[in-house]
Amino acid sequence: MMASVEFIVRIGLWFLLPPLLPGIVNRVKAWVAGRRGPPVLQLYYDLARLWRKGVVLSDLASPGFIAGPAVAWVAVAGAALLLPLGPLGSLLSFRGDVILLVYLLALARFCTAWAAMETGSSFEGMGAAREVSYAVLAEASVITAVLALSVQSGSVSLARMMEPAVGSGGVLLAAGLFTVLLAENCRVPFDDPATHLELTMIHEVMVLDHSGPPLAVILHGASMKLLLYALLLVQAVVPLGGLSFPAAVAVLAGGVLAVTVGVGLVESLLARFAFRRVPLLLTTAFLLCLFALLVAWNGGAA
Amino acid sequence: MTPTGPLLVIALGSALGAAAFLRFPRAWLALVLVGTAAGLGACAFVLWGGPAWDWPGGFEVAGQPVHLRLDGLSALFLALVCVVGGAGAVYSMGYWTDAAHPRSASRGRLWWSEILLAMGFILVATNGLHFLIAWEGFVLGSFFLITLDQSRREARQAGWLYLAASHVGTLCLFGLFGVLAARLGTWELGPVRGHPELAPLFWLALIGFGIKAGAFPLHIWLPSAHGSAPSHASALLSGVVIKMGIYGLIRFGGWLPVPAAAGWVITALGLVSAVLGVAFALGQHDLKRLLAYHSVENIGIILIGFGFALVAASRGHAAWGLLAMAGALLHVWNHGLFKALLFLGAGSVLHATGCRRMSGLGGLWRRMPWTAALFALGAAAISGLPPLNGFVSEWLVYLGLFDAVHARGASSLLAVVSAILLGVTGALALACFTKASAVVFLGAARSEAARRAHESGWAMLGPMVALAALCAAIGLFPVLAWPAVARAAADWTGAGPAAAAPAELRTLGLCSLVVAILGAAAAALLWRRTAAGSLRRASTWCCGYAEPTARMQYTAGSFAGIITGWFEGVLLTHRTQVPAGQGPGRAPIVDEGVPSSLDDHTPEAVLERVVGPAARVVMRVALGARSLQHGRLPAYLLYVLAGLAGLAAIIFLACILT
Repeated sequence: MMASVEFIVRIGLWFLLPPLLPGIVNRVKAWVAGRRGPPVLQLYYDLARLWRKGVVLSDLASPGFIAGPAVAWVAVAGAALLLPLGPLGSLLSFRGDVILLVYLLALARFCTAWAAMETGSSFEGMGAAREVSYAVLAEASVITAVLALSVQSGSVSLARMMEPAVGSGGVLLAAGLFTVLLAENCRVPFDDPATHLELTMIHEVMVLDHSGPPLAVILHGASMKLLLYALLLVQAVVPLGGLSFPAAVAVLAGGVLAVTVGVGLVESLLARFAFRRVPLLLTTAFLLCLFALLVAWNGGAA
Repeated sequence: MTPTGPLLVIALGSALGAAAFLRFPRAWLALVLVGTAAGLGACAFVLWGGPAWDWPGGFEVAGQPVHLRLDGLSALFLALVCVVGGAGAVYSMGYWTDAAHPRSASRGRLWWSEILLAMGFILVATNGLHFLIAWEGFVLGSFFLITLDQSRREARQAGWLYLAASHVGTLCLFGLFGVLAARLGTWELGPVRGHPELAPLFWLALIGFGIKAGAFPLHIWLPSAHGSAPSHASALLSGVVIKMGIYGLIRFGGWLPVPAAAGWVITALGLVSAVLGVAFALGQHDLKRLLAYHSVENIGIILIGFGFALVAASRGHAAWGLLAMAGALLHVWNHGLFKALLFLGAGSVLHATGCRRMSGLGGLWRRMPWTAALFALGAAAISGLPPLNGFVSEWLVYLGLFDAVHARGASSLLAVVSAILLGVTGALALACFTKASAVVFLGAARSEAARRAHESGWAMLGPMVALAALCAAIGLFPVLAWPAVARAAADWTGAGPAAAAPAELRTLGLCSLVVAILGAAAAALLWRRTAAGSLRRASTWCCGYAEPTARMQYTAGSFAGIITGWFEGVLLTHRTQVPAGQGPGRAPIVDEGVPSSLDDHTPEAVLERVVGPAARVVMRVALGARSLQHGRLPAYLLYVLAGLAGLAAIIFLACILT
């Protein structure tokens, strides 16, 4: 009984909370720029509106154009449910669940890129090619970060990996994971979610031809992925184990808020990089994670 | 009395019988199916709990007593031979018909049955001489399958290259078995761990079997052979034939005393194969060559797992070795299944359009929905995505690697590198298969042939559905496949009973099942929601451009451009551009009569840059030596005299020195 209630609460949290994050990011950007900006809940309104709207479908699109976003959403949701939520722990924890999480995100990427290629548009081809190419470097960073956490905790399951306090390597890991977060969620300096110049985008250009409910699903999935990465980053760096329940929840929420505000600040203060510099930045993220791994390695041996 | 023996007799009988019915395709097919089903039954019995089958024949062939044995390891590979052999035989009924290929269809059936038999004998042989005989038969069989269509020059060249490369490997195997027989005084094979002086023989086995397996850089024959063979033969080559090399490596890695560095070298070979295999695949624009390079990648993944099993064995059989080995063995099955599926899918495309160049295809899903869906499933499986089978084996390898990291010591550094590169390989494979399936099946048709494509018949779709179902089954119910893999791993080391399935494998299967069901449900739900609202069809948005054409789509080359740019130094891609001289600061000279084009080609770098030049040096030396032979008798007499004098000098010196 308790388990099913907990399950429903979790699903509800993952369903309702994520669209808040892009709203906060936009608020921060507006605040830095001295504008009033859209309401924090804007994405909720957008999603509700899109869900009721009709769809314009390309002549060339197969059923995969609709199935792709749906499966991608399920994959991200599945990855999200594997993630432990601080004091709540994880719904399902087993050895190697972290690898399943990483590969579920890869499944989401495959489905999104597939749906993008459905229309035969060269813009969307461009976006899909960039998405899957830069993901190679991001994947290396993520696996390295996972290795660092795994070495530090001596475990391969997410719940245990998040437990021990990270030492000095935590700063490196945070910087590396934050960069990966920006890249994987298509934020500045990798991508500009606010731009409308198709030639320069990654994620936004992949969904150009989507409309109505499928677009709503894509947008919700993207916000869920942002929350997932933010939670992963916070829990990887901040040890929540010793805190009481309310304190841990507060720290977790505060951490996610800080990450979100950080994304907004980066977006306000940095310009998007030229594409040829993107691999360089991702390689830097990989190196940061690698140094975090080396620090964890040394800490364990001492 | 176990059913294994009778089943194997039925398998042998029907395979031999099939050879008598080459002119009657249906009878041949029925016999092949009976044979493969019987063989599969025998393997299943051994793998899921039955005892190993051992038959001391009691008579001699080629001067050696016949002794056959089917243990878990052999059965694992034989099961794959039976599944892909049966599926390919059905497929050939629709793909390589007597009507379309009157000269080669029955020849194809002959070599198909021959190669299945030869592989069966390799797997059950316990006598070195018989192993070699079966091996040679198997090499010849695959040569004749590759060159089935003799009218094509490219197929003849690929066959020649295959034959040459294979015989280099066979030469190493002759050396290996010859030395073994000379040292041990018998051709009988078995564990010889007690002879540490035999350890260097492992390197001979590595080269001999490594060439067959297609590990980088020994893979030079593989892309052209897999690309040029008829597609059902490509499926067999890639799914099963190269696995014989893996079988040999694993088998002799278990029997021979292995050098200390063996695990490291094999893991390193695996890492190089995995990353460079997929990098070369990204550079290919020919669908079948692309798939061929993915064989190199997957062999790499198998070798990583096997390499770590060897490292673990050298460290007192650490528990993580079993996980890595189980992952490698399961990947043998998985790669056999999804790669056969993908090659059969590529065969359907080739059959329907006559075009292997991806940039001449596109939009095929409308005409070939089944092929498109099945190819997509294979693509997701080979990219290692849950909930399909490729993920399960990679997950097992990952677990082994992570445990090896925790075990500390020198091998854990290797494990760190391997885990990172395995992740990179997975992401690269995903990029490559997004490219391949999207360019071929999605978007708009780029040529008239693609517009007029037709779906294949059920003789071709049926085997693909069966292979796809197996891929899904292993992905969704990995626990069911575990006993077979654990049995094979236990028989490899000879260490006791098969290990029980790890509990987390059960949980993983459950997660995969949930993801699959929810994914299907979500897709159906979203489709209903979309259809319920106002649904309007319109042309793809093209930035307001009035007349979009299919040529404006992203092509295979442009899709892979970013990643192939990173590997520029290895791939050695060369570009041809018409009109020439375009680039920053150099305006193209436009000739109205010549349509402009940009094309790139990624050659087989090892073949063209290493093997080719080396072969030319050998050729030059050989040509120089030929001038010694000119037909003048006095000069020949002089050679004889000089030779005799030389011999006399050696004997004389030897007498003085002793």
